[in-house]
Amino acid sequence: MNQALKNNETTRQIMVCCGTGCIANGSRDVYQALCHELANHDGIDVQPVMKATGCNGWCEKGPLVKIMPDDITYCGVKVKDAAEIVDKTLVGGELIKRLLVRDPVTKSYLKSHHDTPFYSKQHKVALRNIGEIDPASIKDYIDRDGYQALIKVLQNMSPGQVIDEVIQSGLRGRGGGGFPTGVKWKSCADTNACPRYIICNGDEGDPGAFMDRSIMEGDPHTVIEGMIICAYGVQASKGFIYVRDEYDLAVIHLSRAVEDARDGGFLGKNILGSGLEFDIELVRGGGAFVCGEETALMASIEGNLGEPRDKYVFPTEKGLWGKPTVINNVETWANVPVILGKGAQDFASVGTAGSKGTKVFSLVGKVVNTGLVEVPMGTSLREIIYDIGGGVLDGRSFKAVQTGGPSGGCIPGSMLNLEVDFDSLTRAGSMMGSGGLIVMDDHTCMVEVARYYVNFLAGESCGKCTPCREGIRALLDILTRICNGDGQIEDLDLMEQIGETMQEASLCALGRTAPNPVLSTMRYFRDEYEAHILDKHCPAGVCPALTEFYIDADICKGCGSCARNCPVDAVSGKKKEPHVIDNSKCIRCGECYRHCKFQAVRIR
Amino acid sequence: MYIDEKELSKKNEYKRIIYSYPGEQRYVLVILQDLQKNFNYIPRLGLQMVAEHAGVPVSKVYSMASFYKALSLSPKGRVAIKVCDGTACHIKSGPVLVDQVYKYLHIKPGETSADGEFSLETVNCLGACALAPVMVVNGKVYGKLTPSSIAGIIKEYGGGTDESSLKE
Amino acid sequence: MEIKIDGKEVEVCPGETILEVCRRENIPIPTLCYHEAFGGQGACRMCMVEVKEGDCTRMVASCTYPIHQEIEVITMSEKINRVRSTLAMLQYRRAPNSEYIRQLYDTYHVEPMPLALVDPMEKCILCRLCVNACEQMGRNAIAMVRRGIDKKVSTPFDEAADDCIGCMACVQVCPTGAIQVMEEAGKRVIWNKSFDLITCDRCGKPFATRDEIAYMEKKTNLYEYEHLCERCRPKAMAKKMEALNRDNS
Repeated sequence: MNQALKNNETTRQIMVCCGTGCIANGSRDVYQALCHELANHDGIDVQPVMKATGCNGWCEKGPLVKIMPDDITYCGVKVKDAAEIVDKTLVGGELIKRLLVRDPVTKSYLKSHHDTPFYSKQHKVALRNIGEIDPASIKDYIDRDGYQALIKVLQNMSPGQVIDEVIQSGLRGRGGGGFPTGVKWKSCADTNACPRYIICNGDEGDPGAFMDRSIMEGDPHTVIEGMIICAYGVQASKGFIYVRDEYDLAVIHLSRAVEDARDGGFLGKNILGSGLEFDIELVRGGGAFVCGEETALMASIEGNLGEPRDKYVFPTEKGLWGKPTVINNVETWANVPVILGKGAQDFASVGTAGSKGTKVFSLVGKVVNTGLVEVPMGTSLREIIYDIGGGVLDGRSFKAVQTGGPSGGCIPGSMLNLEVDFDSLTRAGSMMGSGGLIVMDDHTCMVEVARYYVNFLAGESCGKCTPCREGIRALLDILTRICNGDGQIEDLDLMEQIGETMQEASLCALGRTAPNPVLSTMRYFRDEYEAHILDKHCPAGVCPALTEFYIDADICKGCGSCARNCPVDAVSGKKKEPHVIDNSKCIRCGECYRHCKFQAVRIR
Repeated sequence: MYIDEKELSKKNEYKRIIYSYPGEQRYVLVILQDLQKNFNYIPRLGLQMVAEHAGVPVSKVYSMASFYKALSLSPKGRVAIKVCDGTACHIKSGPVLVDQVYKYLHIKPGETSADGEFSLETVNCLGACALAPVMVVNGKVYGKLTPSSIAGIIKEYGGGTDESSLKE
Repeated sequence: MEIKIDGKEVEVCPGETILEVCRRENIPIPTLCYHEAFGGQGACRMCMVEVKEGDCTRMVASCTYPIHQEIEVITMSEKINRVRSTLAMLQYRRAPNSEYIRQLYDTYHVEPMPLALVDPMEKCILCRLCVNACEQMGRNAIAMVRRGIDKKVSTPFDEAADDCIGCMACVQVCPTGAIQVMEEAGKRVIWNKSFDLITCDRCGKPFATRDEIAYMEKKTNLYEYEHLCERCRPKAMAKKMEALNRDNS
């Protein structure tokens, strides 16, 4: 085991993951503790380089500490582990087993995270640098071939060739719609109006999706490089990065990166001596999901209300301040330097016929390994959820996976072999969206999930057009009455009728896709709707009005786990005797149900 | 428009923030965000001054302030509790956390306690889905919460004593 | 250039909207949020039509769709009717107290409303014509506030707005009679603000607010000695002309 730790000619690097997930788990303190230990240790000749990196994706196991070039990954590191890591691993060359990941099948200890199924099945393009570099260091980015694609483009390619290369690559917008990126650029370049603008849409709002946040926080320069390449291609002079308001860390890292890029001659007048003039300004969003819609986003940059307009004339012709504008999302920009650096063919060698390259998914919900994963387009849901994600949490049964956020839909277990790309998801009645994959188990009520999304949109719709605003209100009222046990069977047809009108007549994509969560759950889980309406029963045990928990006295061992975890003291019983739930006190949170190791808590 | 004494006395503070940006419509949002950050809400006088500075009608600035969630028209509490209601948190019983906060502090999402100490909000997704369900108190993230862990957190910030839960 | 509307060839200028062309050609398309003075807003979506561009057919809002290529427009189909009838239902559910909207519902539906009304007293359908009119007057006293299902038209803080002059441009343009005005004892109350009414110097009828007249005078830089209502003003003009003619002859 020790051999691997010898022969380090290069300086050691200790990388502490400082993505949002790990920070919440205390990784900043771990970073400080390690710095402190190193500074006060006599046994170290060459001080290792400490790096606070962006999100490694495996948030479930955080805080993560990686030691390079030894290629050791420690998980769930606490402040108290810092001394031991320095003493044992750095000085003593010994691995600390307790902090290593174990193979889920063989139970053997895995030295590097690369050996784990979570990482070995991934294919990183957009996330290539994240977790490997210090996002605050432009040098780190350049060391990993950063800005090389830009230099190549400026020295060897004409603007037209840049656009052709992107068209050849088959790259499609990663923000939801999947519009071919190169075609978008070309239509902007073909206009004769000036000035032209470039926008990075970083207003990531889909609940359960955080890939854009991770890229902006963990590798901000790749976004900037992508934008500069486009600026050269379409001859734009000004760019904007619109960042979601809640993303403080992303704003800090992006601002720093823009400044460093300017200092490095990558932004400003006469970029790298090529004569290209382009600069980037950061704009903080105001906290409105609808501003992810590009016309609303542009209205917001202009200082207007973030309301969309009809897109019969595309932003590439009339966008920001009525000028030609290219707008792409963060992940799309992160792919651009790779396409120009390695060539379109290399990029297009991965993926499916209609969707090239890779896609980042945020795998969350009731799944063992939550976090960000990047896989080739066309990877099946089963591979993502079971091979990478490790399957459903607590050994429960898989019910559905929600894709595409509030614009998407729920895909049932019977379709787990679906090979995921833009078109297959749309055919399944869902959509790619920004790439959220939310795994749901048998304790997730699909009617309530539909209600959740509609309720989300009720507050997030801009409220401008009637089908979206009033349609959402009607759907919400109907779903609420179904969840309360007051639904009628005619409600299902009525929701279909309203849903169709919303899809056909709404002004923007938010409204047109708003009924998707309702329509897709009605399509695949009609029996659950019928159970709520006809039997007045919530099979998943979620809807309070239609759920009653009870304890099966024959199974209950009287371990008291349910009583300890009940927040309202509704469970009573003596030790080693069957317990009882007082339904007048019970708030139907399901804590007892989840904590019972004997499945003695049942749903009536 | 009626402006109270307290705000009038802060006119110069507002002015300093507002005039640090050019008087153009496109800076209205960022000025409002700055005011929000400094004063925890958009003061009425501040709103009026922004309109004047940017040459935008007061009604339009008010319209924006009421549209964007990052801006609030009434003061927020000293302790800002944000319960995440992103999908991952939602299906892991996030909504029960809101009920628990109500139990101890008697405030619903969007409300501030009568003493101005606590305010509660639900937020869409904090991107910390791996830690679901999540709650953020004054910027500090609390993850993998259970309904029974809420009381302790509220206590950390000096709220939810026995007295207040007796009011139920 | 020429396009086809419901099978008929129609001459259009590039950039015109479908709705503008249809209005000119007397092809009926229902609208709620459209007014010639403000152009298309694309908010109510009643004016949805089907457009065939090449091989693909899609639904568009005729009030905001500018014609730039040879297209085929269908203004009436089963699908369009279905969409409009659902919209009529949603509008009626929102604003059941408006007679206008009630009639709209009746044109598309025979069956009773399948959903509980949102607010039985509501008349506003959020068409925004009032906000447009106020902007056109140069006052901007009202605006759209909040968002989502809570969206509404209001003055800042729901209080009497400094900018409101009580001109009633909003009331005149409102298709559903949703804006409350009270006139009593020489006062007009609108948008939570009370105004003094000025009476016509000839017939004595109250016809405008003091703020309104002051605003118009300042804007036009014409200060009149006599304040006349809309009925007496032309009469006075006619008399002046008559006198002028007499003097000339």
